[in-house]
Amino acid sequence: MQVYLPIAELSVNLFFLVGIGGAVGFLSGLFGVGGGFLLTPLLIFSGVPTAVAVASVTGQVVAASTSGALSHYRRGGIDLHLALYLVLSGILGAFGGVAAFALLRDAGQLDLVIAVGFLVLLGFVGIMMLQESVRALLKRRQGIVVRERMPHQHTWMHGLPWRVRFKKSRLYISVLPVLVIGLFIGFVGSLLGIGGGFIMVPALVYLLRVPGNVVIGTSLAQVVAMMAATTVLHAVQSQSVDMLLAFCLMVGGVAGAQFGAAAGKHLRGEQLRGLLALLVLAVAIRFGLSLVLTPSDVYSMAVTSIAR
Amino acid sequence: MSRLALILLLLLALTLPTQAQRLISSLSNDSVQITSSFDGERLTFFGTIAPAAGAEQRFVEGPFQVVVVVLGPAQDRVARRKTNNFGIWLNTEQVAFRRFPSYFHVLSSRRLLEIADINLLNQNFILPEAYAMAPNPAGFMRTLTFGRELIRIMSEEGLFGVQENGVQFLSDTFYSAQLTLPSSAPPGPYIAQTYVFKDGQIIARKSEGFSVRKIGFERFLAQSAAQSPLLYGLACVVLALVTGWLGGVIFRR
Repeated sequence: MQVYLPIAELSVNLFFLVGIGGAVGFLSGLFGVGGGFLLTPLLIFSGVPTAVAVASVTGQVVAASTSGALSHYRRGGIDLHLALYLVLSGILGAFGGVAAFALLRDAGQLDLVIAVGFLVLLGFVGIMMLQESVRALLKRRQGIVVRERMPHQHTWMHGLPWRVRFKKSRLYISVLPVLVIGLFIGFVGSLLGIGGGFIMVPALVYLLRVPGNVVIGTSLAQVVAMMAATTVLHAVQSQSVDMLLAFCLMVGGVAGAQFGAAAGKHLRGEQLRGLLALLVLAVAIRFGLSLVLTPSDVYSMAVTSIAR
Repeated sequence: MSRLALILLLLLALTLPTQAQRLISSLSNDSVQITSSFDGERLTFFGTIAPAAGAEQRFVEGPFQVVVVVLGPAQDRVARRKTNNFGIWLNTEQVAFRRFPSYFHVLSSRRLLEIADINLLNQNFILPEAYAMAPNPAGFMRTLTFGRELIRIMSEEGLFGVQENGVQFLSDTFYSAQLTLPSSAPPGPYIAQTYVFKDGQIIARKSEGFSVRKIGFERFLAQSAAQSPLLYGLACVVLALVTGWLGGVIFRR
C-alpha cells in the first residue's frame, strides 16, 4: 500500500516505512540506543531527500526515547538537575546545528557534510566500542575482574571553575564540561538527525563519571527534550519535517523497540556492545564508500525555491 | 523580436481568411487531486480543428499535426556536478535555473522534427532542450551542459518527457491525447498548450489550465507546515510524545 508523503512529495510503501521503523526499533531496543544513527542513513539510502530524512527522524527519535525516559523517571533514574543543564546547552547547540543545516542545504553541501559527519562520528565511536568490548570479552575469558575507576577519583576536570552540586549523581563538578557536551550533542544531533545517545552515554560515564543507575535515564531525558526542540526548529527553519513519514517510523519503531528489549535480555553486555560496534562501523563504512566510490551519476539537482 | 514576428504572423493570418482555422479543445480533468493513495492520474486532452468563426469555408483541409505541451508550475532549480578532489567526490560546480518548469511533457502526433523546423520548436519551448538554452548568467555553454543534465535527471524521474506518438487522430480533424501524471508531479497550476501545425507552421494554438492539488489530510499537512510552521512543529512533538507514551503503556507487562 502506497502512502503519499506530503513534505517529501513522494509515494512510499507504507509497509516498507513501518518495516524499517520496526527493524531499527528492534535494534534500538536491543542495544538501548535511539536508533537515529541507523534510521537517517537508511532513509537517505532509500531515496528520501536528505533534508526531509534528517528532520523527520528527529521527530521519530522523540517517540522512540519517550517510553524509555518515562520508565526511568518512574524508577527515579533521571538526574533532572544535570539533564536541565544538558538540555539547555543542547538546545543552544541545536540552534547552531539547524542554522548550519539550512546554510549547507542552500550551498549544496548538506549531503557531503552529513556523510562525513556520520563517517567520522560513527567510525570513531564504533572503533572505540569494538576495542572496549573485545578487551572485556578477552579479560572475561581470562577470568580477570575489571575494576573501574572510582567515581570520586579526581581528574583534570575538577580544576575547572563554576562547580555545581548534582545531588542525584553524587557529583560536585564544574558545569563547563556539562555545557560543552550538551552543546556538541545538540549541534551534531540536529545536523545529522540522531539523538546522540551513543555519544552522550560514554561522555557521561567516562568524562563526568555519572553513576550507572542514572546514566541511561538522564541521557534519554536529554534526548527527548533536545530532539523535541530540534523538531520544532527544523519545522520552523527548513519546513522539512514530514509528519506522516515520522509517524509511520514511530509506529514501527515503538513496537519494534519492545521486542528488541525482550531479545536483549538473552545476550550479555559485552556481546551486545560488540555487535552494536560492528553495526555502527558498517554504517560508517557505507558512508565512507559513498564519498570515495565513483557516483553512478555525477550530476544531481535540487529545488531551491518554489515560485509562487 | 520574436514577439513582433508573432504579431506580424497573426496579422498576416487575419488578412488571409481562407486559411483560418480554429482549435476547439478541452481536457478531461480541471484538477488532479493528490490523496494519500495517489500514484498517478491519467488525463485526456481532446479537440477538433474547425474553420474559424465567421469564415466562409465549411471544412478545413489537412493534414494537420497536433502537439500538446503540458507545463507544471515553475520552480527555481539548481543542477550540480560532483568532481573528484583528492579521492573524494564533492559537489563543486553548479548552475541555477530560475523559473524552470517542474513538469514538462510533450505529446505529438508525429516525430517533432518532422512536424516543424527545430528553430520554430525551440522558440515556442516545445522541445525540452529549449529550456537549456534560455539566457542564464552562467554562460551559454555551461547552461547548455548543466541544463541537458537537469532535463535528463528530470526525465528519469518522469518529470520531463516527449511522447512522439502521444496524440492520436480519430478522424482528419479530431484528435485525442492521453497523459499519465506521475505521483511525483508537483502540485500547483498546470498549463496545457495545444499547437496545430500545418506544413511546418503553427496555424492555431490554445492553452488550458488545470491544477494539481493536494486534498484532504495531505493538503492540510503541507499547508500547515508552510503556513504555521511553529504549530506544525509543536504538533509533531506532541504526536511523538503521545506515540512513545502509548507504546510504553500498550507493551508494558
